[in-house]
Amino acid sequence: MSAPPEKYLAEEIKRVFGDKVLDLKTPRKRRLFVAVSSTDYKEFMKYLAETMRITHISTMTGLDAGGKIEVMPHLFGLGVELTVRTSVPKDNPELDSVTDIYPGAVLYEREVHDLLGVIFKGHPDLSRLILPEEWPEGVYPLRKDYKAQQPEPVRKG
Amino acid sequence: MSKFEVPVGPQHPALKEPESFTFVVDGEHIVEVRPRIGYNHRGIEKAAESRTYIQNLYLMERICGICSVAHTTCYAQNVEYLYEKEIPPRAEYIRVIINELNRIHSHLLWLGVAGHEIGFDTLFMYVWRDREHVMDIIEAITGNRVNYAINTIGGVRRDLTSEATAKARKVLDILEERTKYYRRVAAAEPSLISRVKGIGILKPVDAIRLCAVGPTLRASAVKSDVRKDDPYSTYEEIPFNAVSYDMCDVFSRVLVRVDETLEAISIIRYCLDHLPNGPVRIKLPRNPPAGEAVSKVEAPRGEDVHYVRSDGTERPARYKVRAPTLGNIPAVCDMLTSKADYTVNIGDIPIVLASIDPCFSCTDRAIKFIDSRKQKEWVWSHEQLERYSRRKANR
Amino acid sequence: MKLGIVKWARTKSPWLVHFNTGACNACDIEVLAALTPRYDLERFGAILRGSPRHGDVLVVTGPVTRQVKDRIIRIHEQMPEPKFVVAVGSCSSSGGVFRGCYNVYPGLDSVVPVDAYIGGCPPKPEAIINGVAALLAKIRGG
Repeated sequence: MSAPPEKYLAEEIKRVFGDKVLDLKTPRKRRLFVAVSSTDYKEFMKYLAETMRITHISTMTGLDAGGKIEVMPHLFGLGVELTVRTSVPKDNPELDSVTDIYPGAVLYEREVHDLLGVIFKGHPDLSRLILPEEWPEGVYPLRKDYKAQQPEPVRKG
Repeated sequence: MSKFEVPVGPQHPALKEPESFTFVVDGEHIVEVRPRIGYNHRGIEKAAESRTYIQNLYLMERICGICSVAHTTCYAQNVEYLYEKEIPPRAEYIRVIINELNRIHSHLLWLGVAGHEIGFDTLFMYVWRDREHVMDIIEAITGNRVNYAINTIGGVRRDLTSEATAKARKVLDILEERTKYYRRVAAAEPSLISRVKGIGILKPVDAIRLCAVGPTLRASAVKSDVRKDDPYSTYEEIPFNAVSYDMCDVFSRVLVRVDETLEAISIIRYCLDHLPNGPVRIKLPRNPPAGEAVSKVEAPRGEDVHYVRSDGTERPARYKVRAPTLGNIPAVCDMLTSKADYTVNIGDIPIVLASIDPCFSCTDRAIKFIDSRKQKEWVWSHEQLERYSRRKANR
Repeated sequence: MKLGIVKWARTKSPWLVHFNTGACNACDIEVLAALTPRYDLERFGAILRGSPRHGDVLVVTGPVTRQVKDRIIRIHEQMPEPKFVVAVGSCSSSGGVFRGCYNVYPGLDSVVPVDAYIGGCPPKPEAIINGVAALLAKIRGG
């Protein structure tokens, strides 16, 4: 009787990475959440792609968690939806890009950069993705300190 | 030969939506694609943080009006995962029925639009007329044609009446016959096939490398479908086939969508035959527990992924949506770029773009590839490109 | 006289230009459905034209996003007089469910003048036809 895929993957990750795994949980079937530090992040993603052959990246979530920004790629492979969580300090939000390992991440990293200001080192092109061209530099709408304001009307309605 | 840039947009030929593409061309052939799609960015993720979970249901439905219920199903599921509560089986079956009806309407809509792109306006009119049958059942069940508001957190808001069920069965018979007719047309009509065969190639290795989703992926021989790989709702109990073809071109994508429509009809029939009795919703406390969850559904366009982080209050701390079309943008750029063994012509642009079934409001992204080399350029209107494309086809 | 003939001609056969300012597509598919056999907007002589330079009536869907604002203003300017603007759906009427969002204007009339509002999310094809007919009545009435 084989273990459910998320348990199997959890065990493998713990076996290979040991203490580098900061947090790990499998709250339901086919779901695995793992946290690693930003220094171990790239190595961990390489392991997932090359050793475990997890090739599909669904998207990347960025989240303003106060003093730090969390970056969470969501991957799918081996029948498991795996979310990797890492974080970078808000005053120096730099993280290794994984576009060399996951070419499909190119737009997702750009999106996190556009809306939260994370700089992905090694990304081929971090120019604006979703915000308008005239959007001011350094203003990141998904940060908690940004208060959404609708644009000024051009004429009276 | 010198290169020109052909900006296309913002009223795009294939999509009735505002976005821009810039094509770098070498004579007739496209050598580079630069999409710029930020025109539909509305700031939904930020808005979700200042609205309650129930209010967000209505916001999520309007991410995309075509796959509306896919987003609310994904959202409701996500929040239900936070509560770690199962919804009643009857509600799950009703969700599947509505989701599959939505898939049928979306694929028929696409078939009509694709027909229009190729120059078959008659096909557009026929298909959209038949599609009205689906809209009728949806309206009979949910009360609305486009935004159904059928999902709630804890189940569905309306039950199926016996009249709606009887009507649905009758309409499904009509739809099946019409879809089989379109299947025959798609597979055999030479003028249609010549416009779509061998066009818009996406090799399996590129489809996987670029993380394509949905029918675009399945038309490149990769049989990946969220309903099979990560079954949600009651899909594990329902017998159906994930449809895949291996020609990797626009023709392949047509066949995938038509066959998926037939599969959807069979899924709905199964659900109507096996509909369990019981309540259609459970009551859940206002605030979900703190935690996080990931929910995925197979929207008509492909894998739709939502992530939620709750801090135990009545508003989400973070809600992330990645709708399917964004996942296919790198793939469509690849399809539109000429390579050593395969050239892409300007005349192919409308149908190739249409073939990924783009829902730019799902995506709302601007993909800006920085242009350092500006040479001569010209702008074509929507009608000009379509006319050009049809002229090329008739040669 | 001349203006009367022009008015009559426009009332009998309005050429519509459709533009999506960042909509979720719901209104757009109902506008297109209004052109299909069951609803048949064309019996009013209304035809969908691509180019604003030939249009009489600008049919706009969607909450106007920042990126689109300049384009919708330009399209409106390109249309020859007399021209009319119809805001289809709650989003173009007021911003709809996106009102207050950082990238969306509070309704089409905060950007261009609007002659008719068709509410709904999305409005059914019958409502859209009703709205266009009401606009034609307004034009006729002067």
